[in-house]
Amino acid sequence: MKFKVFALLAVALLRGALAYGQRPPDYDKVVVLQTRIDARDLGYAPVDIIPDGESGITSLTVAPNGYLYGATSGKHSHLFVLIPRHGYVQPLGVIPGATAVTHAVAVSASGDIYIGTSPEGHLLKYTPQDEDHQAIQIGKPLPVTDLGQPVSGESVFALTTTYFNGTDWVYGLTSPNAHLFEYCIATGKFKNLGVVASKLPLGEKFEKDKMMSRMLVADGQGSVFASGGNGAFFQVRVGLEKLEELPIHAPAVPGREPWTRVDAFLLDPSGVIYGGTSDGYLFRLDPSKLTVTNLGKPLNQYRIDGLVRGPGGKLYGVGGDEQEMARLFSYDPSTGAYDVLGFVDVNRRPYYTWQAYVIGAMASDASGTVYIGEDERVSKLYLFYPWP
Amino acid sequence: MTILRKLWILGALAVALNGMAAPKTVTLQYRFFTGLPQMDGNWAALLAASDGKVYVGLACHGCNGHLVFYDSKTDKMVDVGDLTRLSGESGLSLGPQSKIHAKFGEGKDGRIYFATHGGWWFSYGRFATQEGYPGAHYMAYDPKTGRVQDFGIGPRYEGVNTGAYDPKFNRIYGLTHPRGHFVYYDVATGAKVDMGRMNNWDSVCRTLGIDDEGNVYGSFGRGGIYKYDPRTDSIRELSVRVPIMEKGVSLGRDYNKSETHWRTVVWDKQTRKFYGVDESATILFSFDPNAGPDGEIQRLGQMSNPEFAHRRDVPYATLSLTLGHDRKLYYAAAGKEFDYGASAGLAASHLITYDLRTGKTEDLGEIRVPDGGPVIGTNSADTGPDGTIYFVGAISVTPDPDKQNYGGRIGGGAYRLALFIYHPQAD
Repeated sequence: MKFKVFALLAVALLRGALAYGQRPPDYDKVVVLQTRIDARDLGYAPVDIIPDGESGITSLTVAPNGYLYGATSGKHSHLFVLIPRHGYVQPLGVIPGATAVTHAVAVSASGDIYIGTSPEGHLLKYTPQDEDHQAIQIGKPLPVTDLGQPVSGESVFALTTTYFNGTDWVYGLTSPNAHLFEYCIATGKFKNLGVVASKLPLGEKFEKDKMMSRMLVADGQGSVFASGGNGAFFQVRVGLEKLEELPIHAPAVPGREPWTRVDAFLLDPSGVIYGGTSDGYLFRLDPSKLTVTNLGKPLNQYRIDGLVRGPGGKLYGVGGDEQEMARLFSYDPSTGAYDVLGFVDVNRRPYYTWQAYVIGAMASDASGTVYIGEDERVSKLYLFYPWP
Repeated sequence: MTILRKLWILGALAVALNGMAAPKTVTLQYRFFTGLPQMDGNWAALLAASDGKVYVGLACHGCNGHLVFYDSKTDKMVDVGDLTRLSGESGLSLGPQSKIHAKFGEGKDGRIYFATHGGWWFSYGRFATQEGYPGAHYMAYDPKTGRVQDFGIGPRYEGVNTGAYDPKFNRIYGLTHPRGHFVYYDVATGAKVDMGRMNNWDSVCRTLGIDDEGNVYGSFGRGGIYKYDPRTDSIRELSVRVPIMEKGVSLGRDYNKSETHWRTVVWDKQTRKFYGVDESATILFSFDPNAGPDGEIQRLGQMSNPEFAHRRDVPYATLSLTLGHDRKLYYAAAGKEFDYGASAGLAASHLITYDLRTGKTEDLGEIRVPDGGPVIGTNSADTGPDGTIYFVGAISVTPDPDKQNYGGRIGGGAYRLALFIYHPQAD
C-alpha cells in the first residue's frame, strides 16, 4: 500500500516538474545576468512607438544634464530622449531629410543637440524645450534649425562636439568621400578640413566604402581624432583648421590594415582614449604621447559596436558584425582582464524573451547605467546595470 | 479507513472506468522512410505534389538531413539524397545541412522548391564560426530529371526555420533561425534578399502563408500579422490579431516555444481565406486578408484533443493542419506535448476535423496504425491531388540490439519516423 501511494506521489511530482517549463539553466550561462539588464520599447507600445523598420538605434549620447538622446535609422529617422527620472523612451519627432543618423547625435556644452543626417547630409540643431510636457506624436516632424550641408554632395557619417577655449565646436566625417569638417557654433561657419581616406582600399569590385572611423573623439585638450585610410589616425587641432595624418595606426593583423577602421572611441577621465576596431581589437590611444597600445580581442568576433565607461572605471563594450550575434564584454584597465558577459538578452518569460543581435550604438551615464541601442528592423533600447 | 486508502480506491475506480470505455480510433496506413531509420524529426516539410509524389524533408540532428519522396502510384519510397551532399558541402567539416524545416512548394515548371536548415546550434557558441553552420541553401528538385539544383547559400550562418514557395512570383520565402529575418530567393533573377528581422524569441513564426495573389503573411509579436507585398517589396504590419490563450508560466513547453501567435495556416482557394491554429491552445481561426484594409480574423473553435478543451496545459499546437477535398480541415492533435525527442511522453495523437460547410468540429479518435500502435505525434500535413491526407510523424518501434533502427526516444521508448496516409472517403 505504501509503495502504491509513493508511486502516485512520484508521478504527481514528475508531472509537476514537466509543467514547469522554463529556460534551461545551461542557456542562462550564455546571456547577461538577468538582474542586470532591461529593455525599453521606443515609445508607448503598442501604438505610440517608433515603427518597426524605423527603429534601428544608430546614435546615442548623454547630455550634460543626464538625459539620453538617440536617433534611429530606417525608412525615417527619429530622435528620442530618455529622461532617467522617468525611465521611458520618449520619441521627439521625425528628423527632416534623414533615413540614417550614424553616431551623429552630439550635445554642445549649452545643451543643444546637433544631428548629422544621411542621405541629405545636413547638420541640424534641436534645442530641447520642456520635453517633460510634450505629448508623444509619432510621425510629427522634429523642430530643428537646419545649419546647412557641411560638404556638398556628402552625407554626414559621424559627429562629435567639443568645448575648447570658451568656444563650442562640432566636428564631423562625411560619406562617401571621408571629409572631415568643423562647424563653429559661435560663427555658424563650416570648414572642410580635408579627407581621411583618399581612395578605396584594394578589394572586390562590389566594395565601395572608403575606410574611416565610425566615430570621432575629442580629447578635451584641443584635439579631435579619427581613423582613416590604412587604419591611420588623423588629428585636428580645434580651431586651427589643420588635419594631420599621424604615424600611428589602429591595431590590425599585418596585411589587413587597408580594411581596418575604428568602430568606437571612448574618452576616459584619465585622459587616454580607448577604442575598438572593425577586426574586434581594443586599443588605448594616448593623445599626449600619440602612442597606440593593442589591448587584444575580447571576443572571437568582428567589430566593437560600442564602448563605454561603467562604474569603477571598467569599460563595457559590445562586439559582433551585422551577420553575427552580438555579445557584451567588459575590460578592466587596472588588471587588463576581459570578461565575456554573453548575449544581450532580456528574459521576461512568460511575457517575452528578447535578444539583440546587432548593436548600433552605446552610451553610459554618470550613474553607471549602460545604454545599448539595438539596430535591427525591430529594435529596443537596453539598459544594462554593471556590478562593481 | 485512512484518507490515503480512500484516495487509492478512488484512483483505482477511475482507472477501471476509464478502461471500460474503448477509445474511439482512426486507422492510418503508414510507410517507413526506407534506409533512413536514424532520421529523428520532420517539421512542416511535406508536400503532396500534383504528380502523386509526396515530398518529405527528414531531419537528423548532428548529421545530414535527407530529401525523400513517396511515389503514391508505385508505393515506393525514394531517397533523393543527403542535404549536405546536395549542397556541395560534404567533407568540409562544417555544420551539416540537417533539415528541411519549412514547407516545400511546387513551381509552374514542376520543380519542387525548398530551403535547408541546420540541426544543432550549441547555444549559438559556434554561430558564425569556421566550424559552424554555413547557412541555408535554396534548392529545387526536378522530378523530370531527378536532379537537385543548388542556388547557393541564402542567409549566412542561419537556417531557414520557416518558409514557403510562391509559384506566382517564383520565389522561395523564409524566416531565418536564429535571428528571425524575412528572406527570399527570386528564382528568375537569382536575387537573394534580406528584409530584416521580423521575430524575436517572444514570437517564433513557424508558418508563412501565401495567398493567391502572391502576398506573404507571417505572424509576430503578440498575435500580430504582417503582409509582404512582392509588388512593392515592402512589409506592412496589420492591425488584426490572432486569437491566443493568454498564459502565465509556460506549461511543459520547450522554453523557446512561443505562445503568442499562429502555429500554422492553410490557404483556401474557394473562400480566399486562411485557416489556422494558434500555438497556445490550438484555437482555430479564419483570416480573410481581403476584408478591409487589414483583413479580418474570426475565431472558429478549438482543434486540440477535446480532453484539453478549456485547460491551460493544451499540448503545443502541431504543424499538422491541411484542408481536404471534402472541405474539412484535418488536424493531428498531440495527446501530450510532442516534439520528437523533446516530447513529454507517449500518447496517441487525435485526428480532429472541422467542416467548413457546417462549422462542426469532430474528433475522429486516436490515430493508430493497422497493427494497433499509436501515432505518437506528427508535425506536418498535406492533401494529395486525389484527396488523400498525409502526415509525417513518429510511431513506437522496438529497438534492434544490432543496429540503430530508430530515430530517437520518447518517454523511454524508441520511435521512428513514418509517413501516414489517410483516405477520408474510406470512413
